[in-house]
Amino acid sequence: MISFIINKLRYLKLLNANYVEEQRKQRAFQSKKSENSLQKLSQSLKQNLEAIKNQIGNNYDVIIREFCLADQIEVALIYLSGMTDHITINENIIKPLMLYSGLPHYNKPFEITQIKSSILSVGEVKQYRSFDEIIEGCLSGNSILLVNGCDEALSIVTADWKSRGIEEPKTESVVRGPRQGFNESLVANTTLIRRIIKSPDLKVEAMKLGKKTNTNVCIAYLHGVANPLLIEEIKRRINRIKTDSILESGYVEQFIEDAPFSIFSTIANSEKPDSTAAKILEGRAAILVDGTPFALTVPMVFIESFQSSEDYYSRPYFASLIRIIRFLAFFLSIIAPASYVALTTFHQELIPTPLLFSMASAQEGVPFPAVMEASMMGVIFEILREAGVRLPRPVGQAVSIVGALVIGESAVTAGLIGAPMVIVVALTAVASFVVPAQTDSGGIMRIIFVILAGFMGIYGIVIGLLGLFIHLASLRSFGTPYLSPIAPLSISDLKDSVIRVPLWSMLTRPRTIGWQDPERQEFRLKPSPPSEEIKEAE
Amino acid sequence: MKRQRIRSSIREYSRLVIICSILILGTTGCWNRRELPDLAIVVGVGLDKVEDEEVTDKLELTAQIVKTSEMKSGNKGGGNSEAYWNAKNTGNSIFATIRGFTHQASRKLYWPHNQVIIFGRDLAKKGIQEYLDFFVRDQETRLGVWILVADDKASEILEVRPSLEKTPAISLDHLLEAQVATSQTSAIKLNEFVNRLLSKTTAPIAAMVKISSQGSEKSLLVTGTAVFKADKLIGELNITETLGLLWIINEVKSGIIDVECPESNGKVSLEIIRAKSKVTPEIIENKVHFKVEIEEESNIGSQSCSDNLEHLDAIEKLEEAQIAAIESEVRAALSKAKRLNADVFGFGDILHQKLPSEWKEMESMWDEVFPTIEVEVSVDTNVRRSGSSRKAVGQKEE
Repeated sequence: MISFIINKLRYLKLLNANYVEEQRKQRAFQSKKSENSLQKLSQSLKQNLEAIKNQIGNNYDVIIREFCLADQIEVALIYLSGMTDHITINENIIKPLMLYSGLPHYNKPFEITQIKSSILSVGEVKQYRSFDEIIEGCLSGNSILLVNGCDEALSIVTADWKSRGIEEPKTESVVRGPRQGFNESLVANTTLIRRIIKSPDLKVEAMKLGKKTNTNVCIAYLHGVANPLLIEEIKRRINRIKTDSILESGYVEQFIEDAPFSIFSTIANSEKPDSTAAKILEGRAAILVDGTPFALTVPMVFIESFQSSEDYYSRPYFASLIRIIRFLAFFLSIIAPASYVALTTFHQELIPTPLLFSMASAQEGVPFPAVMEASMMGVIFEILREAGVRLPRPVGQAVSIVGALVIGESAVTAGLIGAPMVIVVALTAVASFVVPAQTDSGGIMRIIFVILAGFMGIYGIVIGLLGLFIHLASLRSFGTPYLSPIAPLSISDLKDSVIRVPLWSMLTRPRTIGWQDPERQEFRLKPSPPSEEIKEAE
Repeated sequence: MKRQRIRSSIREYSRLVIICSILILGTTGCWNRRELPDLAIVVGVGLDKVEDEEVTDKLELTAQIVKTSEMKSGNKGGGNSEAYWNAKNTGNSIFATIRGFTHQASRKLYWPHNQVIIFGRDLAKKGIQEYLDFFVRDQETRLGVWILVADDKASEILEVRPSLEKTPAISLDHLLEAQVATSQTSAIKLNEFVNRLLSKTTAPIAAMVKISSQGSEKSLLVTGTAVFKADKLIGELNITETLGLLWIINEVKSGIIDVECPESNGKVSLEIIRAKSKVTPEIIENKVHFKVEIEEESNIGSQSCSDNLEHLDAIEKLEEAQIAAIESEVRAALSKAKRLNADVFGFGDILHQKLPSEWKEMESMWDEVFPTIEVEVSVDTNVRRSGSSRKAVGQKEE
């Protein structure tokens, strides 16, 4: 066993050495490549078109339109159909160019900036000199205008494509609160945030990730509220990512998280603009990735999993009750089957006598030990859940009905599984969905705890809980202790932890996150009837 | 160099983790792991003396084991088969007897849910200390189990099939819990019994249980108090004396006191709602005096006469009658205890706490002192409320 581990480690070392070697090679290659790509445009339109055609010309969706500017100068417009707005191209680019009549005399050299400044009626136009920049622009939906006799090209932003509308997010539905969710378009997503935070302090910085996918990634934060070191660290970690593809924000998450070997996620995600905006307002930074409705927010603390945007929209009393119930449900979902196993196999004396009788009579004739039963039921439940999630909805329902019937009813009547175990597993399953952010870590912990309880009873559960708390306390997310504000304790932040106090008394931002600008609101905002003095004054 | 160092530290670390996990697993292991269907849950145990003189074994032990398969709520044949099995075994010592069940019962006897320990009268007379030892010492048994003395044989008590509960032992448990409503027996648990046994002077007490037959129907009746001297049964207190005992030891929680109607024939039943007592020792002219002060509050529960109890005079008369009733109960208990020469009230311990120097002189001769002590009883009662009606049913307007 030990030698196996050591061999594995040796292998990893070797990989690491190889990696260093490769990096060196790559750097050399890159410098060569950048020489290539910095290739400048030439004066001749023919040569330029030839070069572009060589790179992207034989594609079905690339359209190269050659025409004359005011019957005199040859120009070419290159764009991708499907990623561009046809009306803009026709009306605001081609039409004014063709109909332009204010050309200077031949002896005067023609300036491309003239087109930019006085012909094109399009919002955003960039000027480029290298092929790489042009092609990248073209592939992200810009229209490229090449002019004969100019060694510069215009990249006109015409990007527009069909995207899913703004719909209610499937993962975080609320009773009260905005129902719009992010969609797959990055621009739409940043817009949704900006529509909530209309402040010049909201910064949205863009980056490009993935050598092949060239995915746009944005970091959104509040300047002056978010810790500049945090932003710097996020940028550093994101810039470290050298991969060919970024398909979803999960890719970014797994490359930049603090504890890759922990079952707990140290980066939060949300599909809702309002909760993302709320986190930005607390001093966190959001990382938005093109092509996914899931925005990441860092740093994440453990109790964030128990907070829902609705907690702040509804009045504090019920919100606090729900918070407490979420904590209860979370602990129930990881401890309940383990406790059942521990009680029935080790500590029968802890069960109240009448309950013991009914449990014993239900367990009578069941052929498996309790720990086997619990593991089996746990696995079966996960199978059912997975089947229900992946299958198309109509088939999924059939699966769940069959599963519920077979497991809930027949297994008990056939005497394969005791009825109390079914109740415990069902309760656990329901409870595990109360805290969606910790559902996956909860599932893993549940299995670990059942095994510990099967071996060592309540002693095992206590060891497991100790280990769990030690692990949680050792985690950090971008410098913020994962268990804050509970450990390290921060009294003022406890206002928004297990309970949620009224908004007017939440005076400060979370201390570990928004300490740069702690003041959230002013004192004495508690609403009350007008006092006597004010009445008199009126 | 560095790589080697890291590798060796990793090797050390992984070795440490493996050793630790082995140690942690080994500290408990699965040694007391048992599944629910492997348990024979004992709910009651009866101890009797073997009557046959020729047999060398002296103890007959009846363990009432729950048949979990019969306990099922949806069991349709529940009317015929019993939900319990009384396993019997004989032996010389209690531990050997209990171990002897291994040959009879297919499952291991499981003791934590034991509700009652019943001693047969004959066994109780011979002394029960050697049998109690197991129940205190063993880690599976609990100190919160009821101690009972059977009017005759304990095994017979465990045979009486209750009409409401599933097993006699559970039924007894519920009966004793309910005794607070009448305060007619001194329901006592093992830990308290042992405490009394450990005291040099206080006599242990236990509830008595007997079988009452009405025709062919048999049922269990918990009534009266068994009085022990050291660990031997020496006598009983009847209902009145038991109530007197409970008054003195401040154990009355509730109960009914019947008194005569102030003006006409009939009875008024008063329900005790609050009771408190205090015992203070005094030494006057070399004689030990005890002052028992009882405070009591009651409500009118019912009246069988048509008196108007609405005015203060009537209430005062009721209170006086109540004082007399309580006093007579206390006197009855005192005289019985003196006759048995058993300090069931714990007077010796009170004296020890309050007047330690005098106690030292008396300690060795408490058995001679106890029958001669003088007890002064003062009772203070209050009749508080008359329930939902102020007048007797059918009483005419005046």
